[in-house]
Amino acid sequence: MSLSGGGRGASAPSLRNKNQNTGGGLLAVLVIVSVVLFTVSVRGGETGVLGTVRSGFQTITSPVRYVGAAVASPFQGLANIFTNLTADQATLSELQAENNDLQTRNAELEEAEQTATRLQGLLDLKDTYNLQSTAAHVISGSTDSWTSTVTIDKGTSSGIAIGMPVTATSGVIGQVIGCSATTSTVRLVSDESSSISAMIQTSRAQGMLTGSATGQLTLTLISTSQTVEVGDIVVTSGLGGVFPKGLPLGKVTSVENNPGSLYLDIVVEPFAAYGSYEEVLVITSLTEGQQASSDDIAAADAQDTSSTTAASTSDVSSSTGSSSSTTDGTTTTTTE
Amino acid sequence: MQVSNKNKDHRSILVLAVVCGVLQLALAPNIGLGNGRANLALVFSACVALTVGGKKSVLAGFFAGLFFDLSTTGPIGLMSLLLCVSSYLMGLQGRNRITGDLGLTMGAFTIHSLGVSLAYHVAMLLVGEAGGLFDVVVLRTLPTALLTVVAFIPFAIWLTRAQPSGPNLGGGRGRSSHGSHFNMRGL
Repeated sequence: MSLSGGGRGASAPSLRNKNQNTGGGLLAVLVIVSVVLFTVSVRGGETGVLGTVRSGFQTITSPVRYVGAAVASPFQGLANIFTNLTADQATLSELQAENNDLQTRNAELEEAEQTATRLQGLLDLKDTYNLQSTAAHVISGSTDSWTSTVTIDKGTSSGIAIGMPVTATSGVIGQVIGCSATTSTVRLVSDESSSISAMIQTSRAQGMLTGSATGQLTLTLISTSQTVEVGDIVVTSGLGGVFPKGLPLGKVTSVENNPGSLYLDIVVEPFAAYGSYEEVLVITSLTEGQQASSDDIAAADAQDTSSTTAASTSDVSSSTGSSSSTTDGTTTTTTE
Repeated sequence: MQVSNKNKDHRSILVLAVVCGVLQLALAPNIGLGNGRANLALVFSACVALTVGGKKSVLAGFFAGLFFDLSTTGPIGLMSLLLCVSSYLMGLQGRNRITGDLGLTMGAFTIHSLGVSLAYHVAMLLVGEAGGLFDVVVLRTLPTALLTVVAFIPFAIWLTRAQPSGPNLGGGRGRSSHGSHFNMRGL
């Protein structure tokens, strides 16, 4: 038998060959069996006995097929290249055109999905804060280099009025400063002249969130005796009755306590950065629960008083002037 | 004196059958050229026929063909019939020739691969499974034969290396000058 170990001498193979049965008889038998199987298979189809046998065989061997498919999946693209080589030009052109259409359609659907997500976010925000509001689209940015504003597609004809706060899904973006019949201009919180009553969400320390020429937001009028940590959330305080209480504004990114200073230097990163929103809500009116309560006003006054007292005690203000803030949420005055 | 280790023969053929069976199920369906797929059943039957020959090669061809038929959607018995005949013929002509000559091995296998593939697809055409002669020859037969030949290359290299030298199925001492029968030690 040829698969076995080797023999010695030259005569062994020839002797074996002479004695080797070529299997002609067996071939004849197996040919007949094959023909019978073929005939039965063609006549019976998949419903016959052989179809059942095949079904059982494929069930048993399916794990091997799964493993093969899993192993081959990374290389499927390579196999497709060879397959594509045999496709005719008309098929390839048709597939290319279909692919282009599908890519365009896919981009449209992705855009629609993102819009739906943003609008759903606005609806959620409206429900969460029970806002009386009107939705609007941002149609343009600032037309000059001096102010940070956006223009929205709703104006006085939609009930928009100057002073109304504007928010996106991620947080407050600003306040309406100008209205026409169909459009309104919104001053962003990052604008140099913007100032919003705000507070730290955890410690409830109250101050003013102001913009700057560089676009950086600064939380002022929080005394050094207050506790503020990096990462604290800044929300609207509701003082002044313009913004609803508790709307998110941003996150504290740095806190500095300069020696001799009455107030902390707090830098805030806005949640609603410019360019991250396309649909906004203009808050048209506030309910009673959204405004600052008398307790909040008393707390703000107490904080202001304690700051002033601390300043007097440390005699810091005697040479530099004094700071004061009102609780109307819109103005801050520092006198040298 | 020549001693034949039949258990080792059977084990070697079994290992080869398992390897080719797994490749047929796992690899062949995932590697295509046009409509062609490699036929590892033919590779297995050729390995046995070109090295062993005789009844065993006919049996190996029959069961390999049956395995192929069961793993596809074609009629059962067709490939087993073709591989029976192919193995018998390869066994006749190759049993004493496949002795480390890769070119001869590949040549013999290529002829049988083309023949089996063409016969199989023509039969499929006759039973109404194929579309036309162009489809049969160009899109199915040639790619299938080519892929099968490619799949056979590592087996052929392995087989020819397993047979050290000589015009006969050489092996053992003095095989280079005297020849001896084939030894699939790699198995």
